[in-house]
Amino acid sequence: MAPVTYLEAIRQGLWEEMERDSSVLVMGEDVGVYGGAFKVTEGFVHRFGTERVVDTPISEMAITSAVYGASLTGLRPVGEFQFMDFISSAHSQIVQVLAKSNYRWGAPAPLVLRGPSGGGVSGGPFHSQNPEMFYVHTPGLKVIAPATARDAKGLIKAAIRDNNPVLFFEHKFLYRRVKEELPEEDYIVEIGKARLDREGKDLSVITYGAMLYVAQEAAEILAKEGIQIEIVDLRTLLPLDNEAIRKTVEKTNRVIILHEDTKTGGLAGEIAAIINEEAFDSLDAPIVRITSMDAPVPFSPPLEKAFLPKVEDVVREARRLIKY
Amino acid sequence: MATKKAETQSPQKSELKPQNTNGAKSASVSAQTATAANGNNSTPPIGKNPYGIPDWRLEQLPFHIESDWADGEYRYKVVGDTTVPAPPLRPSKYLTKEKTIEIYRYMLINRRMEESLERLYKQSKVIGGLYLSLGQEACSVASAYALGQDDWLAPMIRNQGSMVVKGFRPRDTMMQYMAKGGSPTHGRESGSHYGDHKKLNVVAPISHLGDSISVVAGVALGARLQGKNIACLAFIGDGGQSTGPTYEGFNFAAVQKLGVVLIVEHNLWAYSTPVELQFACKDLADRSIGYGVPGVIIDGTDANQVYDATHEAVQRAYRGEGASFIEAKLMRMKGHAMHDPAVYVPVEVKEYWKRRDPILRMEKYLLEREWATQKQIDAIQSEVEKYMDEERTYAEESPMPDASEVGKDVYCDNAVEIGLKYGPVKVHNANESRKLTESSAPGHYK
Repeated sequence: MAPVTYLEAIRQGLWEEMERDSSVLVMGEDVGVYGGAFKVTEGFVHRFGTERVVDTPISEMAITSAVYGASLTGLRPVGEFQFMDFISSAHSQIVQVLAKSNYRWGAPAPLVLRGPSGGGVSGGPFHSQNPEMFYVHTPGLKVIAPATARDAKGLIKAAIRDNNPVLFFEHKFLYRRVKEELPEEDYIVEIGKARLDREGKDLSVITYGAMLYVAQEAAEILAKEGIQIEIVDLRTLLPLDNEAIRKTVEKTNRVIILHEDTKTGGLAGEIAAIINEEAFDSLDAPIVRITSMDAPVPFSPPLEKAFLPKVEDVVREARRLIKY
Repeated sequence: MATKKAETQSPQKSELKPQNTNGAKSASVSAQTATAANGNNSTPPIGKNPYGIPDWRLEQLPFHIESDWADGEYRYKVVGDTTVPAPPLRPSKYLTKEKTIEIYRYMLINRRMEESLERLYKQSKVIGGLYLSLGQEACSVASAYALGQDDWLAPMIRNQGSMVVKGFRPRDTMMQYMAKGGSPTHGRESGSHYGDHKKLNVVAPISHLGDSISVVAGVALGARLQGKNIACLAFIGDGGQSTGPTYEGFNFAAVQKLGVVLIVEHNLWAYSTPVELQFACKDLADRSIGYGVPGVIIDGTDANQVYDATHEAVQRAYRGEGASFIEAKLMRMKGHAMHDPAVYVPVEVKEYWKRRDPILRMEKYLLEREWATQKQIDAIQSEVEKYMDEERTYAEESPMPDASEVGKDVYCDNAVEIGLKYGPVKVHNANESRKLTESSAPGHYK
């Protein structure tokens, strides 16, 4: 099997689920004949028809609620946000209508809202954001952010089969940049389980999304200095895999939390609190957060490069923690 | 203070008052009334508003509200005539005697249920706020009465009557307001914020106005994909329709030709803000032109008009022709909630609408058409009162929820089987031989 890109992995996952289960449909802006801004649904309308590949008006809140309404009839709809930045236009529907549905009136909402997030492509302030934390803070939702092609495919399938509203944050920088061979058989990746990406004994980097590759590069550099980095790829942000977090901290006793989202109120703070509660005695050094700075995502390449976390940040902080 | 202002402000006031106090029962029957009632099914012609929207009403609102400074205070005043007597009901094109009486009974249930709740509130048995629909019972009840079992309802907080028509019991709403463990949401939600997606097909309302419109658009889309054209009745107020979700949701329904029947309850006050401060148009039904769907203006206190307009919209939905827009003109006779005595509403406006009490008007219609005798009406009233006593007793006896239940059901277990509601998915235009090929076109960003 030839290696498959992160983008193709998502396309395969969606396509296979739509073939397997006729109750799955996709809705969103330009998803039909055009195939979506990033071509995730390219060709879908020909195979599945306009009733299951629904082009919508530019109305994120209506898309979100309509996807939910369709799920109330037992369908498993997948709504696309052209960019995850526009999820803010549907914020009220997601946190008020969808997230509280099963709790408020026992109406499960088996749906997925997916789309590209993240920076590194000079998308500017409205095409580069990582808005996952608004939703990680919302009970009733599940939040996923895969970093690899294999996980992206397995998790989109798991998300579609899940009985709850799942927000699926794809990373647009990874769409055509990472590829790997995928299993031939139908597989899913369990929601709520982190993945040990690299084993090491000296320091853990807990991360997700595109920052996985920053962590990997840093680990290669540090390996040459004899520092063995362990990398935990969270994959699911809600519910968090507390056990995986605790285990790696107990093993290495030093931890960097790395994410592309901005620092204040970012997931790193939450993970630091979990470590404090569940593995405080295992720590030999302070917990370090490496994140984007607290600012909007800038447009111009030199500014965006300065804004995003870098390999050298991880290398520098790892060296400091090892000596601590 | 309010009386003092009213006296100094309006020279007409002293003339108005004696006439107003008698209410609907003493209002004289106009010439038009007599013709309509005596001629049995002779229906008065349907008018049109300046934009060509059909207006089924037998009267136009003869006054409006302006803001004004008087005695150093800013307040609302009435401009126009509020003394006009109420017209008769427009005879229904579709309702039989039996159905009309059933609608009357539901309206009574709606009102008695809310009167019971008001007493429970005053006894401090209601937890939190209480939202009443006095004066709006015809709109809630007669519209929902036009729905079939497979159709959906997306009520607003005041449409408690429509929920009863759809199959909930008054005890459900009462237990909700008393935060009981036996309530449909087991104490998790308040008041009319409950629903049923399995059997009764009612979306639980949320406090965010307009959000349910696109929800039922999605429901109708889902049903259509399963081979069934259903009608989804959604309510929004004159205040709620100012929100963005209202526009996005109804435009979505319109463009997808989904059977959403939107009733805009133009009840003149958005909490304390008069409609004059909500929108610049006179008839909200004008907006139906912009949505590209048929619109109609009706008298929301006339159950016949409400039923007929909804019925026609529902049939249009069944035919797969798409959404409809109904503007129902009526009045919220209580405050926004029980804490609010609505002192901002000029007294003469309340008097005008008291004469348009939907239940009294329906009684009169039944009597004049000789579809019911006073004795029969009295019998229905006693029966409903007895029923309501039983419902209230049941609701009061329900236990409060057990605190150990908190946090349950935030998520739906994946072991739960979720089946299709209307049957297998039917697609008309797919090409099954098509295979997935690698995307070759450029994406939005490299």
